[in-house]
Formats: sequence, C-alpha cells, structure tokens
Amino acid sequence: MSLHSDPVKGLLLFAALLLTALPVFAHGARVIWEVQGDSVHISAAFDDGTPMNEAQVTVFSGAEPSVPYTSGLTDENGEFTFLPDVEQSLAWDVQVRKAGHGDIVHFSLDGSTDTLSDQGAFTTLQIILMSACVVWGFIGTALFFATKRKGQNAHS
Amino acid sequence: MSKRTVMLVSMLFALSLVFASCGADEVDINTEEPIVEAQQETTGDLVFAANGEDFVRAGFVSSDGWHITFRHVYVTITDVAAYQTNPPYDPHTGDEIIGDVQVELAGVFTIDLAEGDENADPVLVGILEEVPAGHYNALSWSMVPAEEGSSQGYSIFIDAQAEKGDDSYNVFLGFENGYRYAAGEFVGDARKGFVTPDAAGDLEMTFHFDHIFGDFEQPADCDLNMMAIGFEPFAELMQEGTVSEDLASLSENLPEETYTKLLEALPTLGHTGEGHCHCTVIQ
Repeated sequence: MSLHSDPVKGLLLFAALLLTALPVFAHGARVIWEVQGDSVHISAAFDDGTPMNEAQVTVFSGAEPSVPYTSGLTDENGEFTFLPDVEQSLAWDVQVRKAGHGDIVHFSLDGSTDTLSDQGAFTTLQIILMSACVVWGFIGTALFFATKRKGQNAHS
Repeated sequence: MSKRTVMLVSMLFALSLVFASCGADEVDINTEEPIVEAQQETTGDLVFAANGEDFVRAGFVSSDGWHITFRHVYVTITDVAAYQTNPPYDPHTGDEIIGDVQVELAGVFTIDLAEGDENADPVLVGILEEVPAGHYNALSWSMVPAEEGSSQGYSIFIDAQAEKGDDSYNVFLGFENGYRYAAGEFVGDARKGFVTPDAAGDLEMTFHFDHIFGDFEQPADCDLNMMAIGFEPFAELMQEGTVSEDLASLSENLPEETYTKLLEALPTLGHTGEGHCHCTVIQ
C-alpha cells in the first residue's frame, strides 16, 4: 500500500506541481460571433481548431435569459446563423455544446460586449430635467450678462 | 426678460430636479415615516451541487478498454463562492472573478460523487438562503486534501473496480494535490444560477473523470483521449489484485511521460456542466 507515504516526498511533489504550466483548457471549446446584416453568425471550434460540427446550439435573448429563443445544430464547419429580434433585446447569449464540452458567449448588438444592464441608470424624468437645467444654465448666464450690459448702457 | 424672471425660472428648475432625484424619500402622511420602495432588493435561495456525471455513477469504459465502476469517489471542496458578474466572467482570460454581487458558502465539504445510481441527482453541497436575487453567472471553489475521513490526505480519492477480460482489480487512487477553480456560467441542458424570490437558483461543480481515464466511446485520437492516460498504466502497478497508489508513489512508479500527462490532466477535471474553468495549483 503506497498511500499516506513520506511527507517530504509529498512536499517535493507539491513543489513540482507548482511548476506545472497552468491554466489548462485542453479539449475546451471557443465560440465566436459576428453580425452579418440582420443575422448573427456563430462559429464554434475546439481548442485545437477542430470545428464543432453538429454541435447543439441554444440561443437566449436578454429579455428571457432562461428560455431558449431558438436552437439548432452547427453545420459541418461548426457554423450556425440566427436572426435576433432586436426589438425584444440587444443582449444575447449563445451556448454551443458537443461531446460533453462547450462554451457560452455573451454579446450586445449595441456594439458593446457587456451584457446590458440598467443598474444605476437615471430615470427618463431625471434625464429630461438634467438636460433642461444644463440648457437653462446657458440661457440664464447669457440673459444675466445681457441684462447687466443693458444696465451699464443705461447709466452711460 | 428681467433678472427676477431668470432667477425665478432657475429656482423652479432646481426644485424640480431635487424632487425628481429624491422621489423615493416620500413621507407617509399618516405615520410621517419615510416610504421605502417595496422590496428594493429581493432575495432567494441558491443551491450548490457537485456532479461526477454518469461516468462516475454508472461507470464507463476507459480509452484502453477497462470497464471501471466506482464504489466511492470522494472530493473535498471548500471556499465555494458564487458571483453576479457584468460583463460575464470568461475563464479563458485567467483573470480573477470580480462580481457585482458575491456570496460564499462557508465550510469544507467531502462529497461522494458516486452516491446514488445513474439516475441520481447531483450531490447537494449546501444551500445559501436569502441571497440577493439575480443571475449568478460565475462560480469558484477549491479542491483541497481532506483532513479527516475515508479520503484523509487527498483532495480526490477513488475506490473502484476495474475489469478487462479475465482481470478484475480493486482500485484505490488518492490524489493529494489541491486546485482552485474559477468558472463562468454553467454550460448544459438548462441555464442555471437564476435566483428569484419564487424559485431557488442552482449551480453545479462538475468533475470530468474521463479526463484521467479517457473514453472508449470517443475516437482514439480525439483531444480527450490524447490527453488522458487511460487505465492501463495503473493496471501495470497491480499487486495481489489491487492497485493502490497516490501521486507520491505514482511519481516513482509511472514512466515520467505518463506521470507528467497525469499531472496535466488533473487540473482539467473541474468544470461547471460542460463549461471549462480557469485552474491554479494551490498546494
């Protein structure tokens, strides 16, 4: 029985492990997305470049992130295309899986890769009022100096 | 327009802005208490599970033809945390997970992934109650050597039976190294991690043991089987019908190349569903 052996040997083993090159993503999958006209084109491959052909694709919209928007299989090149409903959401998530491995990508069709979030945003009323205040600040300043100049002219 | 009119309109704008920004601090005319907006931060429960998948619960055939059935597969897990991240965490970056919301499951848990039959649910690790609602789209945990119990000294301990032809061996394999895993969103049949007041969210720490032994059902030259060492190298260490090894002994008894492959395969065990993790050696 070799279990629970020499602790010095164990320490040497750990030292060897620390030198092990990490991170490791062997047999991982990468999914790339691209907007093509009104559609979104998905391309999926394993880390070694092998296309994930006939992989299961599931698309989720940001409006209903736990309910599939559409699903299907990639073609022989690991590619898949879908038509997003941008009225429904600009944020999309696409999951691709095959042979026990997969990946999920998240993107926004407004040009940002961040998932959309309204956290910390101002309300419409606040935005209107702030804009109006900025405009009124300029008008008020101009009117103030105009009134002052008018007063000076009256004295002269 | 007179100076007085300018000042009056400016004051009206300023007052409007103050009221608009302070709308939540209205006062109840009956109690004179501030009215707090109902349930500004909702909460729900978050369930953590561990899963060795069918490979462990039902057994499988290694890439080199050994049929392996598992009596016990113990993994010891700690420092479990879930996060709401925006943008979503990508483990391929190797970065630390930075969440807008982070919750932690305190404790050290030794889980038997072989518990139950092939139809059993993933093994419950723990439940966090009343965590902030939202989508927990990242997960991290550590796998460390157990300090007590059947797997003491090992982060992973396998108790199995391996059979091929007329050969049938008892197998005891202990791996004493520790790893820290950082995962993005669960990848699988359903999306996970959505916590609402009405429904608990769930997250899964998944372990792919085919990364060690390979999978006979996959092509021999596929990435997975090229990475795995199979079972034959362990079988060659059999003594009196039993294979009993740990990393310390394997470092001496396995061919150097095979041992290196095993060390490279072990960090890849941790997943969330089919989604890969960023892994670092922690001890």
